[in-house]
Amino acid sequence: MAHDLSKPYEYPFDVASEEEIRFRDAGAVDGRPAGVPSSYDEGGSTRWTPEAISEVHALAQLGRYQVRGYNTFNKQLPTFDDLTFVPATMTRLPLEGYRESCDTTTVLGGGRGLVERPLELKIPIYIASMSFGALSASAKASLGYGASKVGTMTCTGEGGMLEEEREASQRLLYQMSPARYGVDLDHLRRADALELVVGQGAKPGTGGLLLGMKVSPRVSKMRTLPEGVDQRSTIRHPDFLGADDLAVKIEELRIATNYQVPIFIKMGATRPRFDVAVAAKAGADVVVVDGAEGGTGASPELLLNHTGIPTMSAIRAAREALDECGMTGKVSLVAAGGIRSGVDAAKCLALGADAVMIGNAAMVALGCNSPRYLEDYAALGTSPGACHHCHTGRCPVGIATQDEELESRMNPRAGAERIARYLTAMTMEITALAKACGKSSVHNLETEDLRALSFQASAFTGVKMAGIDRAFDW
Amino acid sequence: MSEVAERMDEIVIEVGKRHIREVNRDIMDACATGRPIRVVNTLSRHNLGVGLPDNVDITFEGSVGYYCGGLNTGANISIERNCGWAVGEGMAKGHITVGGYAGMSCGAAMIGGTIHVKGDAGPRVGVAMKGGNIVVEGKIGYQSGFMAHSGRIIALGGAGESCADALWEGEVWVAGEVDSLGVDVDVIEPTAEEVAEVDAILEPLGLVDSSRNWRKMVSGQRLWYFESRDASAWLMI
Ligand SMILES: Cc1cc2nc3c(=O)[nH]c(=O)nc-3n(C[C@H](O)[C@H](O)[C@H](O)COP(=O)(O)O)c2cc1C
Ligand code: SF4
Repeated sequence: MAHDLSKPYEYPFDVASEEEIRFRDAGAVDGRPAGVPSSYDEGGSTRWTPEAISEVHALAQLGRYQVRGYNTFNKQLPTFDDLTFVPATMTRLPLEGYRESCDTTTVLGGGRGLVERPLELKIPIYIASMSFGALSASAKASLGYGASKVGTMTCTGEGGMLEEEREASQRLLYQMSPARYGVDLDHLRRADALELVVGQGAKPGTGGLLLGMKVSPRVSKMRTLPEGVDQRSTIRHPDFLGADDLAVKIEELRIATNYQVPIFIKMGATRPRFDVAVAAKAGADVVVVDGAEGGTGASPELLLNHTGIPTMSAIRAAREALDECGMTGKVSLVAAGGIRSGVDAAKCLALGADAVMIGNAAMVALGCNSPRYLEDYAALGTSPGACHHCHTGRCPVGIATQDEELESRMNPRAGAERIARYLTAMTMEITALAKACGKSSVHNLETEDLRALSFQASAFTGVKMAGIDRAFDW
Repeated sequence: MSEVAERMDEIVIEVGKRHIREVNRDIMDACATGRPIRVVNTLSRHNLGVGLPDNVDITFEGSVGYYCGGLNTGANISIERNCGWAVGEGMAKGHITVGGYAGMSCGAAMIGGTIHVKGDAGPRVGVAMKGGNIVVEGKIGYQSGFMAHSGRIIALGGAGESCADALWEGEVWVAGEVDSLGVDVDVIEPTAEEVAEVDAILEPLGLVDSSRNWRKMVSGQRLWYFESRDASAWLMI
C-alpha cells in the first residue's frame, strides 16, 4: 500500500541532533564534513590532476606551448617490458650462452645491389642522428670514437658535418634535413651513408628546433643563421614534396655520390604501414622508423607527449609493409625510439628490425642525468634522474650544450670509452638472449621468440599473449 | 649518332633514353677534358649534370627536368630552354643560365654562385638558400624566398603571392608588382649603395636599368625569437 505523500513520514523516535549527524561526537575537525579525508588532501579529479593544473598555469603565464628536450612523458605508451622472451626449452634447442658464438654483423643498404659500399656494421646498433648544436662538439667526437671502437656508425644530425665527428667516426651517416644546413658536396662524398629525414618520433610533422642559447657563433656559421636566434626549421623539403619527386631526389643523391653509399630515409612513426612502403618504393636503401618514444634535443612538449605511435607497433607495421611489397631483403629496416638496453634492442630485432639506433641511451651512457654538479641541476629546477633540460643549453654535465665552461665537464676520452663499453654490453645482452632462443645470428630473432605480458602490447604488435599463445586479435 | 661525339672543339653527349647514370658518367668524363660540353636530345630528363666540378662549360640543348646543375661546385651551365624543379639546388659555386622558364624551387638551399632565369620562375624561388644570387628576368612564383638564410633573390618582372615569406637574412628584391607579402616581411627603401650592389650583379648579365622602382624585402625578425627572449620563464620548465 502506497504511503500518503501528503503526510510527512515521521520516525517513531526523536530526530538526531546536527551534532550527532555530523560525527561531531568523536572529535571530527570543525568546518570540514567528515568523509574520506584523502579526497580533501589529494583531490580526486581524473581530469584535473596536479600536472594538468600546473600545465594550465604554465600556458597561462607563457602564452605559448612549452618546449623541452629528452623524450615523451606520456604514461599511456607501452614499454618494451610488456614483452618477454620465451627461450628454447623442449621444442627448440638453445645455444650455449657462455660458449657458442652468435653473429652480430649487420649489413645495411646492400639489398638492392645498387651501391658500391653498403654499410657493414659489427653490431646491430648505431648512434642516432643528434646534431652538433643539440650536442657539444666533444660529445659528438666521443660518440664517434666510441662507436668506431666497436665497429659501428654515428650520424651527423641536421646541423651539417662536424670535422671532429668525421675524424672520430669510421662510419658516418650524413643527414640532409629539410633545412639543409651546411650542405656541401664534399661532405656528401666523404660520408658513408646519406639520410633524408622527413620526420622524427619526438616531433613528427614538425621541423627541427634549436633555441637561441645553443646557436653559438660556430653553430650559427655552420647553419648560416643569425647568432642567438631560436632556430625553428622547416619540415617540408625545399626540393621535393611527394613520393615521385623523392624517387628523383634519391637518384640525384646517388649520382652526386657516384652510387657509392646507401641512401636512408628517416621518418617518425605515424602510419608506418603506408609510409614505409612509399619510402621503399621511392628507392631508399634503408628506412628508419623512429617511434613516439624517440628522444630529442628540443621539441614542443605537446608533440613529444601526444603524437606518433609506439616503437613496438611501428616495427611490426613496417616489417609487414616491406613483406607485402616484396621489399624485405632489398630494403633494410632500422628502428629507434625508447631503446634503453640490449634487451630492448633484442625485442626490436625480434619484432622485425634489421638494426636499431640509440639517441637518449647514448647520452645517458655519456653521463646525462648523472649525479654530479647538483647545484646546476637545481638551478634548472630539476635533479639528476629527472633532467630533461637539453633545450636550455645549460646541461649540468656538459653534453647538450654549446657553453665552453659546461662542455669542459664532459671528459671526451672517458666518454668515448663509456660509449664503447655500453655498446659492447648491449650487444652481449642481445646475443645472450639470441643464444637462449637458439639463434646463431642476432638477425634470426623472430616474433615467435616473444610473448606479450599485456593485452595492449599484444594488440599493438600481434605478438602472442603469454600462456594462451594466441595474439590478442580483433 | 654515337652517344659521345666531337664537334669542333666541343664534346657532344646524347641523352635520349639512356640510363641517367651513364649519361652523367659521360658528362663527368667530358668535364675532365676541360673542353666545352654540349648535351643534346635532353628530353626534359631529370638529374642531368649533378655535382659538376669547377672550370667546366656545359650547355644543355632544349629543356631539362628536375635538379639540373644540382650541387654544382663551379661549372658554368647553360640550359637553352626550360628547366624543372630545383635547378641548381645546393649549388656552392658557378653560374647557371636558364633560357626559358624555371620550375619550382629554383636554387633551393643553394650556397653560392648565380642562377639567371630569362623567363619566369615557379614557386619557392630560393627556398632555404644560404647564399649566392638568383636573378629572374620575369616574375617569381608564390612563396619565393621562403626561409632564405642568406643571399639575394632579384626579380625584374614582379612576384606572386606570399613573397619573401619567413626570411632569415636572405633578401628579396622585386621590380614590378608584388601580389602579396609573406609573413614577417619588412619592405624597405634600398639605399643607393645597396642598389649599386644589385646593379653589380645585374651588370655582367646586361640587365642594369636605372629606372627600376625597387622593393627590397627583408625579415621583420618577428619570427626569429620564440623563447630565448623570455628565457628566465622557460629555464625552469
Ligand atoms: C639531443 C638529440 C638531438 C637530436 N637531433 C636530431 C637531428 O638533428 N635529426 C634527427 O633526425 N633526429 C634527431 N634526434 C632524434 C634521434 O636521431 C633519434 O631518432 C632518437 O633519439 C631515437 O630515440 P631514443 O632517443 O629513444 O633512442 C635527436 C635526438 C636527441 C636526443
Ligand atoms: S643532463 Fe644534460 S643531456 Fe641530460 S637531460 Fe639534462 S640537459 Fe639533457
